[in-house]
Amino acid sequence: MKLLKQITKPINMPFWWQDLIISIPRIVCGYLLATSFGADKFGLPWSPVDKNLGLFEVAFWFPNDVAEYGGIFAMFPVFFAWMGAFAEAVGGILLAVGFQTRIASFLIVCTMLVAIFMQQINNGMWNCLPAMGFLWVALFSMITGSGRFGIDYLISKKY
Amino acid sequence: MKKIIIIFVGLLSLMTTSCVQKTFKKTIVFMVDVSAVKNIKKVGIRGNKPFDWNYDNKMKVVKKDSLYTITKTFETGYKFVEVKFTVNGEFEFKEQDNRKVYFSEKDTTVVKFVFNKR
Repeated sequence: MKLLKQITKPINMPFWWQDLIISIPRIVCGYLLATSFGADKFGLPWSPVDKNLGLFEVAFWFPNDVAEYGGIFAMFPVFFAWMGAFAEAVGGILLAVGFQTRIASFLIVCTMLVAIFMQQINNGMWNCLPAMGFLWVALFSMITGSGRFGIDYLISKKY
Repeated sequence: MKKIIIIFVGLLSLMTTSCVQKTFKKTIVFMVDVSAVKNIKKVGIRGNKPFDWNYDNKMKVVKKDSLYTITKTFETGYKFVEVKFTVNGEFEFKEQDNRKVYFSEKDTTVVKFVFNKR
């Protein structure tokens, strides 16, 4: 419980407007992950109907792609595909609203590292940029937490 | 502690293995009328899986310089496939939307198009 409190409690900036500015990339990245990148391969209520995804289902092609990374990914492709898609889709929501921001950020950091080094690195730096953008924001949020503009702040104020 | 981790990983694996989108075996037959195009050397199709956007899947001649076809059988979870036809490696509908072909409820879908016409 003590650990959970520590994980939840954000580091606040000296002034509220600094927290507001810092929260913008977190909210935008969380929104984009949840509504676009994640929802395309993980079944959420707002996933495109054409994708034919059931709730919390990972797209059929994603485990095959993950298996191609080789090593441990080839041993547990469904697990890693589901976790990666979950991190993007659900982690994106959590990041946007600032709920358990550090846990969500950690999942997103892991996913983006895999996306960069296992999927995009051979396609050139330009193709790595989206994943790198999300990585930087999630890395920062993993340290600071939600700041004043997130649910974590409200929770940590209560306890 | 070790037991808890093993149970947790086991449950998580079990949970995630049943959470993959269901796939169906579909066969799709594309036919394209290219009679309006001159100097035809090859006709192809590009698109999402099972096709590829980077290279042509060559289409077979039904009637030379007029009608070409390709048949693909594959596993998919989607309800449609997006494609464009090519003649001599040149795309139809440049800078325009792809053709979106929905699969029929039956196993096999047969569609016929005219090159560069909706």
